[in-house]
Amino acid sequence: MSLLRVKEATKRFGNLLAIDDVSLSVEPGELRAIIGPNGAGKTTFFNLISGLFAPTAGAITFAERDVTALLPEQRVRLGMARTFQITEIFPELTVEDNLRVAVELAAGHGLSPWLGRAAARGINARLEELLATGNLTSKRNHRVGALSHGDQRAAEIMMALALKPRLLLLDEPTAGMGDQETYDVARLVKRLHRNAGLTILLIEHDMRLVFNLADRIMVLAEGRVLAEGTPQEIAANENVQRAYLGEAAK
Amino acid sequence: MSWRRRALDLGVIVALLTMPYWMAAVGGYTELATRVVIMGLAAMSLNFLLGYTGVLSFGHAAYFGLGGYGAAMAIKYWNWGTLPAIAAGALAATVAAALIGALIVRRRGVYFAMVTIAFGQVFFFLAFRWNAVTGGDDGLTGWRRQPIDFGFAQLDIVRNDHALYYFVLAVFAVCVAVMARLIASPLGRSLVAIRENERRARFLGLAIERRIWLSFVISCFFVSIAGALYALLNNFIDPRALRFDLSGNFVIMAVMGGMRSFWGPLLGAAIFVALQDYVSSRTENWMFFIGLVFVLVVRFFPRGLLGVLARRGAA
Amino acid sequence: MSQLVLFNVFNGLIVGAFYALMALGLSLIMNLSGVINFAHGAFLALGAYLAYTLIPYIGFWGALIVAPILTGALGLVVERLLIRPLYGGDTLYSLLLTFGLAYMMEDSIKYVWGAQSLPFQAPTWLLSPLSSQYFFLTGYRVFMIVIVAAAVAALFIVLGYTRLGMRIRAGTRDLETVSTLGVNTRLLRSVNFGLGVYIAGLAGVLAAGLLGLSPTIGDNLIMPSFVAIIVGGLGSLVGTLIGGLLIGVVSGLTAVFFPSATEAVIYVMMGLVLLIRPRGLFGEEGRVH
Repeated sequence: MSLLRVKEATKRFGNLLAIDDVSLSVEPGELRAIIGPNGAGKTTFFNLISGLFAPTAGAITFAERDVTALLPEQRVRLGMARTFQITEIFPELTVEDNLRVAVELAAGHGLSPWLGRAAARGINARLEELLATGNLTSKRNHRVGALSHGDQRAAEIMMALALKPRLLLLDEPTAGMGDQETYDVARLVKRLHRNAGLTILLIEHDMRLVFNLADRIMVLAEGRVLAEGTPQEIAANENVQRAYLGEAAK
Repeated sequence: MSWRRRALDLGVIVALLTMPYWMAAVGGYTELATRVVIMGLAAMSLNFLLGYTGVLSFGHAAYFGLGGYGAAMAIKYWNWGTLPAIAAGALAATVAAALIGALIVRRRGVYFAMVTIAFGQVFFFLAFRWNAVTGGDDGLTGWRRQPIDFGFAQLDIVRNDHALYYFVLAVFAVCVAVMARLIASPLGRSLVAIRENERRARFLGLAIERRIWLSFVISCFFVSIAGALYALLNNFIDPRALRFDLSGNFVIMAVMGGMRSFWGPLLGAAIFVALQDYVSSRTENWMFFIGLVFVLVVRFFPRGLLGVLARRGAA
Repeated sequence: MSQLVLFNVFNGLIVGAFYALMALGLSLIMNLSGVINFAHGAFLALGAYLAYTLIPYIGFWGALIVAPILTGALGLVVERLLIRPLYGGDTLYSLLLTFGLAYMMEDSIKYVWGAQSLPFQAPTWLLSPLSSQYFFLTGYRVFMIVIVAAAVAALFIVLGYTRLGMRIRAGTRDLETVSTLGVNTRLLRSVNFGLGVYIAGLAGVLAAGLLGLSPTIGDNLIMPSFVAIIVGGLGSLVGTLIGGLLIGVVSGLTAVFFPSATEAVIYVMMGLVLLIRPRGLFGEEGRVH
């Protein structure tokens, strides 16, 4: 059974047709990449899946539940976690406090006016785990807004991970990063996919990363699915080449 | 907790415990001290919503006033004791806050602020017009606070200014302790998360509107207790306690002292109350100077006193 | 009975016209700059008092033209010195600042002109009734409606057909883009603020003739203006206009049947709108912040 199924999703903004009849099916444990030229609608597609707005037409099923009408926070609680193109974190708080909020919410303590000792121990343990996975232990008391781009991204991914998601949506995690940071993020994503068996849906521009990590790739252009397949199939696809490089690629 | 914060906490506690004694030395009087504590509670309650959750309400006086009217009416019409009367005021205001809050949390930012202002006015007009029950523009008179009977002893808060001060301080202490506990809890952290980045908070699974509603209700609950105490202090309550200029005063107190610090609003309240008392005794045009304070604080001290000090300390 | 109803509806329409005029100025400023101008009522009062001072020199018509301009000019100064530094910051600060400004202005008016009500001389020929049957149809009231209608029409024409208006409208949607297109957005915001305040000043001159002149003349109008904006929908000037007229008329009707609820009813309307259609009658979806 697919973990996520998007059926013929369409999104219109006034006269602008941003997403046109796009369908997608993601299996548990898969790492699916979505690529496409700028303006293809990739982030809009993510916004549909994660619930920032409702589709004009079409349906979204997650873990065998129809989530089309659900709010983002409701989808999060069902197991969908997401990062954003521009890192969304709590910039004035420390790395540790950022993660703490996420862990507490995930553990169901969002409304708790106090924490029992056992619960606190559990939360602290999980906190240590996440800090270690993201290589952030030494920076735990730094204001996350003051960290490097790569560390901020790692923190954001760890916050998403704190939610113990079934599906992780990563929107251009390496946007604006240099080679070393890109490598670090790629390694983190690979680890999460291979070791934790996390299902990941990834928007990316960095082709080396995409071809290295993805099980399958979907190409979007002008709001429509241009091609779908394994990295090899996509690399050989003429339409894809043309979409990226223009007519000169022919 | 850093030693600096512990030192500040201790300093505040000591200052408050001894205020009636040093108040006179700086040209004040016990009633002024009591007013400082009451307004401090009001400002700190507002700050629960404003400074910690990042949501601006410019209509908190409505709930302050409701607390006052509730307590006053309980005493006047039903002869209730002091503590039950405070509870009555708090109940009335909290129910109102719960209902109104549910209506307005769908809006945010500028819009939310506007709506809180407007709703504040509803209660003002209610108090103003409903002469028979509220005494109208003249206010609710013909009642006074009663001594508190503990069974084994009586606390004469009627004539003894000192006793009243310490009673008010005790109520203040309980409220403030609960607020501090909430802020340091996972609940409190979730509110700060909303303030810091609403979108990220939403994508961590937080039901934002419901959470803001909760913060609003908690904030109004505590401000209504301050209102009840205010009525008790004056043996009087009138529609001015509900007016939006009082709401504005609460906000400036919080900002002036420092929105991002726990004790900031108390400090702001102390300064504001003292200033208002001093200026209004010196000139008829005190409104001008109070307005000037608003303008100066916004232009030159937006972080407030404790905010400025925190910066210096951290640097 | 019907005379009474007609009288109150007409009155309500006039009051509503005022609410609408005030609210339009407020809305204009709020939409472009995100600033809630709490001092709007004070500017209204200032316009009225300036007119009062000018009338002995340039007559009523002269004052009607000059006083709002002076008020608008003060608005420009206030915007440049006090409000401009606050753009981009939290709404909180502009609210607090204009709040304090309102205090300062109102007290200054009291200081200069005294706290008592003053007699405001509208031209006497305007004050006489136009019809023996409809006594309330005084020349002044009709004149007011005409002026308000003209002002509103002029506003919409400026917004709809001039370059300035177009920039204001575009800026309301996306100030950043307008800026990158080479428009001086700082100047735009200043002019916009001045325009909004000009409208308040104009409303002040008219209101003084109808309600009499006192320092608190603006206080009673500012709250209903807020409600007019909420009912009509944030971001929509047409909505603000209709919102103002609507609450004026409803308030007028209420005066016939439930006199004590005259003020409260506009807040009831606000509550209903928030409950049923939170974005307001003409508000746009998604214009939350």
